[in-house]
Amino acid sequence: MSKDFDIKNIAKLASINLSEDEQKELDNDLSIILEHVKALSDLKLDTEQKEIFIHPLEKELELQEDKLVESLTHEEALSNAPKSKDGKFVVPPSME
Amino acid sequence: MSLQPTIGIETHIELNTNTKMFCRCGVVDTEDPNVSLCPTCLGLPGALPVPNKKAIESITLLALSTGCEITRKGMFHRKNYFYPDLPKNYQISQFDLPVGLNGELEIVIEESTDNIQIERVHMEEDTGKSTHSGSGRIESATSTALDFNRSGVPLVEIVTKPVITSSKQAVAYIEELRQLAIDLNISEGRLEKGNLRFDANISVAPEGSSELGTKVEIKNMNSLRSLERAIDYEIERQTKAVEDGVEIIQETRHWDENKELTSTMRSKEGSADYRYFSDPDLPNMYLSEDFINQVKSTMPQLPKKQREELVDTGLSLKQANILSKSDVWIKSLYFKVHKQTKDSEASFNWITGELQGQMRKSNIEKLPDWFSYEYLSEIIELIKNSKISFTSAKVILSELLNTDSTPNEVAEQKNLFQENDTDKISEMIVQILEENQDVVERIKTGEDKLVGFLVGLVMKQSNGSVNPGMAKELLLKKIED
Repeated sequence: MSKDFDIKNIAKLASINLSEDEQKELDNDLSIILEHVKALSDLKLDTEQKEIFIHPLEKELELQEDKLVESLTHEEALSNAPKSKDGKFVVPPSME
Repeated sequence: MSLQPTIGIETHIELNTNTKMFCRCGVVDTEDPNVSLCPTCLGLPGALPVPNKKAIESITLLALSTGCEITRKGMFHRKNYFYPDLPKNYQISQFDLPVGLNGELEIVIEESTDNIQIERVHMEEDTGKSTHSGSGRIESATSTALDFNRSGVPLVEIVTKPVITSSKQAVAYIEELRQLAIDLNISEGRLEKGNLRFDANISVAPEGSSELGTKVEIKNMNSLRSLERAIDYEIERQTKAVEDGVEIIQETRHWDENKELTSTMRSKEGSADYRYFSDPDLPNMYLSEDFINQVKSTMPQLPKKQREELVDTGLSLKQANILSKSDVWIKSLYFKVHKQTKDSEASFNWITGELQGQMRKSNIEKLPDWFSYEYLSEIIELIKNSKISFTSAKVILSELLNTDSTPNEVAEQKNLFQENDTDKISEMIVQILEENQDVVERIKTGEDKLVGFLVGLVMKQSNGSVNPGMAKELLLKKIED
């Protein structure tokens, strides 16, 4: 089958390092999985129903009025922080 | 080869809601960190988001006012990323079903208009604020401190199509969008507070080419000055690169205000990097016909319509644009003064020029209670009827801003009414000519400029109460006789 994925790119997106051997192996596995899933495209679908609207819940979204509700105090908010300083959460350095 | 720049702008507008987007914590304006938090905006396990109704109304209003198609059945998506400024590890945003699609916004540059195509208008949440400590540079920071007050504050993102062709257009677009947000009363629209933040996607391509060049994104600007300069800098940088045969890399760059240049921040992510998927915590959002009609009914007059009304009073498009982007009290003052004087030019000049200028100079933010719009009409009429000079009018206005008085009273007190009685002026002139025979002789031999000297004498003797134009006319007549 023609391949429509690039295992190297997928590994990069998932932030994992794969050796050459692992790449080969996963490349093969993924091809088999995709071939298997391809069976779905044989399903006869009602093409008139163009709407693509997939969500696990049938429920309709409820909106809330823009009214303030008091919640955590400053101390409570910081109480789970492993490290804090001057009222701020302190975490390992991060780059944007 | 001539190169043509193409620019698209993404703008984040912070809404003026009382509470955050997905929880009912207050939107606070304070330096005290972490004082408006709850389990939802802290991303604690088990906490569920519930959207803010006012925010959805605001974005719908903005989408409607820009002529967007409203997505009646929309949903929220998770945009996943790994910075600690959002503790959930994702930002709730909208992906393929934004609230608004395919709108446009009219902008004004000098005396002409342009329509900027809008691709989409979607809802998302702001992040917390990170401070990197250590040596001051992000690369060598030893830790990152986080304040989550801003985490979850509602943001509307408006994305234009790549249709902007200059920094001037980009600035006019942001000015228009800002005014629209203020007039719709959905945001304070204060740039200095970061209420509007913009990213610009810039590319250059040979003129007439149907394909766009490689785009470079400049992130997170919040002043018009930065926007204009960053775009100009980037167009120049890219143009030079193309001319020199250097490949342009698709990347995100940062505008350095002090060095006045852009520099690489990171190579650009594609949307695959964010692994968007529909947020299982938030069911589908249906915007009913009733909801949309109710939002429509709150639509105020839009800036475009305001400009049309102003142009109808006789102003140029440029003048109308300036007024449409002024404070409400200035616009309404203009309409009142114009209604009385029927003089659009004078009304505009006195209000946007002298009045605002004097107020700025004296640090007056608000017109004093006693100051009636009729005073401005009166001043304009007094000048028109040659009762006072332009210079005197400025003195009168300044006095009215500081003391409870009327233009006529001030003119009377300060002796600023012009003498228009020709007999009286003639008398004065005859005397001056007699005393300055030598000057008269020189004028007769062609030294025209000396007339000005004589006009000056008339003004001096009359304490400035004579209309200088009239004085000159009478002087010349007498000299000829």
